Amino acid sequence: MRFTPTELTEAELRLQQEVREFLAEELPPGSHEPCLGMAARKDKDFSLKMAERGWVGMALPKEWGGSDRTAVDRFIVVEEMLRWGAPVGHHWVADRQTGNVILKFGTEEQRERFLPSICRGELGFSIGMSEPDSGSDLASVSTKAERASDGWIINGTKIWTSGAHENDWFVCLLRTSPMEDGNKHAGLSQLLIDLKSPGLEISPIPFLDGSHHFNEVTFNEVFVPDTNVVGDLGMGWHQNTTEMAYERGGPDRWLSPFSTVEQLLREAHGTELENAVTELFGELIARWWGIRNLSLSVARLIDTGEAPSVESSLVKEMGTRYEQEVVEKLVHLIDLEYSPDSESLFERLLSQCVVTFPGNTIRGGTIEILRSVASKGLKGLPA
Amino acid sequence: MTEDSLVDPLVTETAHRLLSEICDHESIQAAEATGQAPEIWNAFAETGFPWISIDEDAGGSGGSLLDALEVLRLVGYHAAPIPAAETGILGGWLLANSSQELPDGITTVVPNGRENVTGSVSGDEVTVTGRALRVPWARVAERIVVPLSIEDQTVIASIDSAQCAIEPMTNMAGEPRDTVTFENVQVPLAIAAPGIDLEAFRFRGALSRAALMAGAIEKMSQLTVSYTNDRVQFGRPVAKFQAVQQHLVWGAQDAALARMVAETAAREAARGTAQFEIAAAKLVANQAAARATKACHQAHGAMGMTQEYPLHHLSRRLWSWRKEYGSDAEWSSWLGKIAVAQGADQLYPLVTGGSAVLN
Repeated sequence: MRFTPTELTEAELRLQQEVREFLAEELPPGSHEPCLGMAARKDKDFSLKMAERGWVGMALPKEWGGSDRTAVDRFIVVEEMLRWGAPVGHHWVADRQTGNVILKFGTEEQRERFLPSICRGELGFSIGMSEPDSGSDLASVSTKAERASDGWIINGTKIWTSGAHENDWFVCLLRTSPMEDGNKHAGLSQLLIDLKSPGLEISPIPFLDGSHHFNEVTFNEVFVPDTNVVGDLGMGWHQNTTEMAYERGGPDRWLSPFSTVEQLLREAHGTELENAVTELFGELIARWWGIRNLSLSVARLIDTGEAPSVESSLVKEMGTRYEQEVVEKLVHLIDLEYSPDSESLFERLLSQCVVTFPGNTIRGGTIEILRSVASKGLKGLPA
Repeated sequence: MTEDSLVDPLVTETAHRLLSEICDHESIQAAEATGQAPEIWNAFAETGFPWISIDEDAGGSGGSLLDALEVLRLVGYHAAPIPAAETGILGGWLLANSSQELPDGITTVVPNGRENVTGSVSGDEVTVTGRALRVPWARVAERIVVPLSIEDQTVIASIDSAQCAIEPMTNMAGEPRDTVTFENVQVPLAIAAPGIDLEAFRFRGALSRAALMAGAIEKMSQLTVSYTNDRVQFGRPVAKFQAVQQHLVWGAQDAALARMVAETAAREAARGTAQFEIAAAKLVANQAAARATKACHQAHGAMGMTQEYPLHHLSRRLWSWRKEYGSDAEWSSWLGKIAVAQGADQLYPLVTGGSAVLN
């Protein structure tokens, strides 16, 4: 494991500047309620505008509608969007992981069918991994796909499916052959499933603040054609693990409270700050600078063709805990009874952080699971 | 990556090999007992390592600041009980930048900050008076360098250690941090080159500590992974327990973080002004050291609390380096003022651009 320092090239800095100008024009400060990182509003028009610039599915090949850009280019676009609190929810999952999965494991027909519309910002995807009885122990999923003529019949339940009520498709990890003793990773496959399929029922699971992200998705004899199997039958676990490397370690794992901190500085403008508050700003930007450099070096590593799952788990575990630490430091220092309907945007954002950030160290793999992934890759003293 | 941002791999390899040979548990322990480590120093100095990044014309070994900081990182990694930073990128740098001769032996430097040392200029001489605290390795130094700010000028006094009274004192790792008293010591007046002043020296000191700390935290993390894989309890290596894995992961994260910030600051410092990067690197390293020390000690159990096990060579040095050349409060305050002055719209550009945004 080695995080090699890297820096942006001239061309990459130009992209950064371009994204900043785009955001300043589309979403000038004060014109929108910033989102808190990846839990962003869905705004299809915004996604379409980004796609026009080539910033959705940008690392996918031009042949399939992408821009042949690098993981670092995508990193630059994503970090600017997140720190701005832009409404990137509609294309988020497709851009981060589903496009890669279809490119890497999908058939020519699937690539033609899905990648261009992902890159145009049209299609929204959800993730079909967890089940009521399978969370951290994901390989124990029991939703079954059984053989039918030209396809599969699905029965079972997926849960915590963010955005299923608004999105178009999801990639599901399913059991296509019965669990063998001692090898629970075998017999799993990934299927592309239309969220409007007959027999598929989507029920909301209200989030703790009353908002609607989560759903339970129930399959009652849902038919999925053979042409929607992604990759090889029985290779679902391996494919899913590869997908996770894209999901972890990026700016979405450490930038969520940035717009809140930025807003505090904006609202404090012109007032005399206590030393402790000034020091807090110093402490926060220093650590953000350090974590960003680690995260950027992971993106650079992905561009060399590696799947740095240990490095990305390490960064995600650290980044999501840091997000919570930032909020705790703000709460500790700022003498306010903040409320979700305050006139102050900072207070509204802080209220939202306080209530929702306990989930940051859970979503996409709990930090306990990440520690177990990361610790397997740690090396002791050189021989 | 451009060429100016790369360390010469030969430097890494040679320094690592040499330090592995000359610094072992016993020799570090012996240095603590006697307050000196002449064999280690002589072997290290013979290679010219202490003077990397100082021009050969000025009596140095040539090479880049990046290489010099890589050597310091390895000095930290091996907990080498030697004044490598003081002789080279701190004291040696001040001497070379005031056109003064580098001694063959050890140079140390009076860290600025809370020192009560003053100088007065008369003709082509400067007279130095006062009592300097926590001067690293003064007792074995040939020369003691004192940077002074006198009437808008930075004066670099190079003093023969025989002209000072030295009281032996130590830091938390048992390394010399002596009290040095100057009683009207007269030396030739030497003015620092433009850009070399007490502030630049403070940053340079912080940069040296960040490099040393990065090395020490990495070694601590590696020791911890090795120990917990060897140590068996309840019939299996303790590294297999989730509760212990947490400490291993936290230690490894802070090792990676401290090395990343030290190397990034080194790269920028080798190019020019890097105040943001150095301040942030020292602050991040200070906090990483605190967290990693806690995690690594915890994973070692009682064994890590003994003198016979080498963890303490690293953890005790880290407690000392954390406070040298700027505490958490000093650097967070410096960075915070920069952030507030930049304002909300420029806050993220500052995180991504660092000193480039400030220049």
